Amino acid sequence: MSIAIQTSKLTKVYEGSFRAQDVHALKELDLTINQGEIYGYLGPNGSGKTTTIKMMLGLLFPTSGTIEILGSSHVGSASVKRNIGYLPEGAYYPDFLKGEEILEYYGKLYGLGGKDLRRRMAETLELVGMTHARKRLLRGYSKGMRQRIGLAQALISDPAILILDEPTTGLDPIARKEIRDILANLRDKGKTLLISSHELLEVELICDRVGILFEGVLQAQGTLDELLQQRDVTVDVDGVDDAAVSKLAEKGLQVEDRVQSRAKLRVASAITAYEALELCRAFDLKLIGVAPRRETLEELFVRIVGAAQSTRRQ
Amino acid sequence: MGAFIDFFRGPWYIAVYTYREGIRKKTLIGFLILSLLVIFGASFISSYLDPTSETDIDLKLIKDICVATISIFGVLITIFISASVVPGEIENKVIYTILSKPVRRIQYLLGKFIGAQLIIIVNLLLMGVLFFAALYMRQGILPTLLLWSMLLTYFEFLIISAFTFAVSCASTSAVVPTIIGLFIYITGNLTEFLKDVQNRAGQSGKWFDDAIGWIANALYQVLPNLQNFSLKTQIINGQPNDPPTDVLIPNLMAYGTLYAVFGFLLAWVIFWRKEM
Repeated sequence: MSIAIQTSKLTKVYEGSFRAQDVHALKELDLTINQGEIYGYLGPNGSGKTTTIKMMLGLLFPTSGTIEILGSSHVGSASVKRNIGYLPEGAYYPDFLKGEEILEYYGKLYGLGGKDLRRRMAETLELVGMTHARKRLLRGYSKGMRQRIGLAQALISDPAILILDEPTTGLDPIARKEIRDILANLRDKGKTLLISSHELLEVELICDRVGILFEGVLQAQGTLDELLQQRDVTVDVDGVDDAAVSKLAEKGLQVEDRVQSRAKLRVASAITAYEALELCRAFDLKLIGVAPRRETLEELFVRIVGAAQSTRRQ
Repeated sequence: MGAFIDFFRGPWYIAVYTYREGIRKKTLIGFLILSLLVIFGASFISSYLDPTSETDIDLKLIKDICVATISIFGVLITIFISASVVPGEIENKVIYTILSKPVRRIQYLLGKFIGAQLIIIVNLLLMGVLFFAALYMRQGILPTLLLWSMLLTYFEFLIISAFTFAVSCASTSAVVPTIIGLFIYITGNLTEFLKDVQNRAGQSGKWFDDAIGWIANALYQVLPNLQNFSLKTQIINGQPNDPPTDVLIPNLMAYGTLYAVFGFLLAWVIFWRKEM
């Protein structure tokens, strides 16, 4: 698989002025993003995500290390930026312009014009579901519509790489789902997407690979299958009473989400799923379902960042 | 030629956008309305009150008020716009969406600077046209001298704009560049006094006396002399269709352009490696 973006030992130090200390925003970051994948770039506030993105766009300059985008190390040059669409978090778009005027402006900055520009505007507006509002002034747009126009300006030149900073923040569930579908559709068309986000559920639903950054250090990188641990097994049963709850716990079956006689039993690692099923039979519980329970991305994030925090404290 | 046009295409789009956004700024609209009201009030209202009792002194006073209004509000608009076009876009993050496109930093700066100049020119024209109409209606002579004055006033504003713009490129808010812009305007109009200070310094033989003279001389050599661009005395005292005297218009235009180019280059030096 070809590489879309690669950083090698990328380091960024913000020099402190006067008595302020230097801030090491990124420390020898080795990041690899393959072409045609959606990469979730995660980390707490101040971990260095935006710094990385800004360096990829030539808005900040590395202290040391290199960045290659589609094989070119001339980051920030017009030829590289021609292949990138960027949606910053919380960007402002002027209220006095219509949706299509915004796209026309950004399209012209990409060097588009005439029929090409009009075609791309129509395609992009269609893609983000904003064709109906193209003639409306932005002051009449909802937050979701503004976000869609923001996405459209990033897509106007049909770039190979899309860098999106918090693309679904502040949107309602329906708008989130729609944006997610658009992004998945773009991936299916061969685009590479780098999504920086705090919305872990969204990332888990859509991303092929993730990287978790903490204090400028990449703590983990890989596919969700590689990173998310198989935690345990839950057994869905009926017929649980108060007496059974304590007895099951003694045997290593934790009762969760009990509603009257129905409950989920979490199987601790000390016993196997087969032993758990034997116990259910012994307690005369009606078996409804058995499911392996995988770690969620949120749990992975908390585990990795928590481990990094405790290492730092030591 | 194609490459030349391609290079300026991006800046032109940015300039038009900057202009369209800039003319909607409430502060600028406020300055403009106020200046037009003062010019209108001074020029027209007095004549409606009692046109027969108007004396030469009244006319001079009206001209004085109008010239001062154009100068003061024009410079406020110039400084306000030049100080805010770049920091404003950093603040609302629009700059990220533009510089992430295939736009060079010099193209971005050119676009913002040209956009600011369009706003300054349009505002100056609006004020000038009103004053021009007022003078014409009063005296029945086309006040061509005012056109020359407007041209020179623009070049004065161009210098102030370029240096304010340069300072704004080092800043994240418009406050500091606004203060520096006002400083440039005030000191630029006081350079003759600097020469006077230099001449009077160094007579006591004390080191600080010499130092004051040296500093005054350095400032006199470096700072633009904005008084050169003023036709105020001739407008007030002369005939409205007189040709400008005591000034060489092409030389002053070249003088203004040189300072503006230097200011813009300074902006570029500050901005080309600026971290955002």
